[in-house]
Order: sequence, then structure tokens, then C-alpha cells
Amino acid sequence: MAQGNLDSNGDITCPTSIVGESSSANVNAGLDRLRINSADENDDDGAVQITCFSDLSDDLTLHFQIIRLHKQIYAWIGCNSAKFGHLYAAAPTRPNNMVNVTSLLGGASDNTGSGIARRIVLKTGLNVVLACNIPKDSPMLEAAAEKKLVSKLIDLGYTKSKI
Amino acid sequence: MDASSAPFPVPHKKLSLDIQGNKTDIVICSYDDHFLVIATQIGSMGTTLHARKEEGVSIHPTFSVSVIFGKRDEPVLVACARQLIEHISNCGSSRPLVLSLGLKDHSVGTLKGVVTAVIANRLW
Repeated sequence: MAQGNLDSNGDITCPTSIVGESSSANVNAGLDRLRINSADENDDDGAVQITCFSDLSDDLTLHFQIIRLHKQIYAWIGCNSAKFGHLYAAAPTRPNNMVNVTSLLGGASDNTGSGIARRIVLKTGLNVVLACNIPKDSPMLEAAAEKKLVSKLIDLGYTKSKI
Repeated sequence: MDASSAPFPVPHKKLSLDIQGNKTDIVICSYDDHFLVIATQIGSMGTTLHARKEEGVSIHPTFSVSVIFGKRDEPVLVACARQLIEHISNCGSSRPLVLSLGLKDHSVGTLKGVVTAVIANRLW
């Protein structure tokens, strides 16, 4: 039974803190669980977080590596091998929220990765450096890899707002 | 979903240490045909360099280092890449190096600290 006092009007006032220690502990535990889902093992905002995973589909193995720095994301996509591939940097640019991409390594003749990098920035608002060895002229593979990478970035809670 | 029990094909190491008073995060990854080293104090990759051993017939190898993104007027960054690619070569690997340095100060002390830390945790 909740403790209460009668005030001058005859109404019962109940201190709001008396909800029961067990239920507030449950609320706190629930909040902790929610935070753990979106944060990583380190609560330190500046710590580097590395996520590696692979995905098998249609006889192909796609490997993904995401390195989260405080203000930037580095990602690598490997198609059946651990070759580095071509390197691109992409970022949203002010003032009109466009995306710019540049090729850093590998030349511009094969721009499979540059499209992926550009669309990652469009969908996540992040500053991205992407290394990708997906062969050119494979639009389905490119789309599948991009979809998995973007959904993982969203799951990990790394995204900012879409552009 | 992935049912493979094979380990992830790219080994990596991550460490965090203090270099000349600045907290530095270092990540080293070993791909099939490259090494990637990221050393950052500023939360982003900073200046990116590419260093490789030149093909040649002479006994002493020569190396080529170029800045592919970022500051092109900081010789300390180029020196850092040069030292690391030479170390990689001396350890027997001819894989090129992609090095990202996001440093708050470009002093020789910081350079030495980064090179020492990377070599101590190398994957080659």
C-alpha cells in the first residue's frame, strides 16, 4: 500500500518516489539494455571500434570490415578474396548537402566502389573511406554488398541523418 | 547467412597509446596484397600515404612514397611511411603500405612514437 499524507484540501498526496525499488530497478535495467544495443563495449566516444563479418550468397563470399573512428568510417568490402582493391573517399559537402567522391588508389577506370561510397554517404550522412575489390560490371553484386554494408552501419548505430 | 567456420581473412590489430601526450589509436590490417596502418589522434584518418617497394635488380631496394590524400607539405608524414615500408621490406614482404596519419603535431618525437608502436605490433 502506498504511503501518503493528507494535504489541506483533504486529498491524499503520494510522494512520487515511492513506486517501489524493484520497479525502478527494472526501468533502469531496461534502459541499460537499450543503451547496450546501440553502444559498443567501450562507452568512450573516441575509441576505435572494428567490426568484421562475412556473408555467403550465390557461391560468393562477401567480406566486410568496418572501422569506426570518431569522425569517420573506414570500410572494406572483399569479394571472395582479401585483396585491398580500390580506395575511395566520400563525404557530404556544405553548403548544399551534396556528396563528393574521389578515387585515392586504383584509378578511375573501374568505379564500382565509388558508386557504393557515394550511396553510403547519401544514406547515412557519414564521412566514409571505402576500399572495395568487387569486380566491375557486376551490378547485382555491387547492390547486394552495398545493402548489407548500409544495413550493418544502421544496426551498429553509426549513422547520422540522411542527406 | 554466413555458415562458414573460416576465420575472417583479414587479420588486424588495434591498440591505443599515448604519444607525446596525445592519445593515439592505431589499427593495423593485413590484406592479401597490402598492409593498412591507421594512426589517429584526431578521430579521422587524416593524411593518407601509399608506399611501395620499387621493382629493381640492384641489391638495395628503393621505395616510392606518395601522399594520396591530405597534407602534401609535411615531410614527417612521408618519413614515417618511408621508415615503415623499409621495415616491411626488411622483414621479407614486398606488399605495399597504405598509411593514414591523423596527427595533432608533426614533430619528430611523434613520428618516432608512431613508428615504434606500429613496429612493435606489426603483422609482417
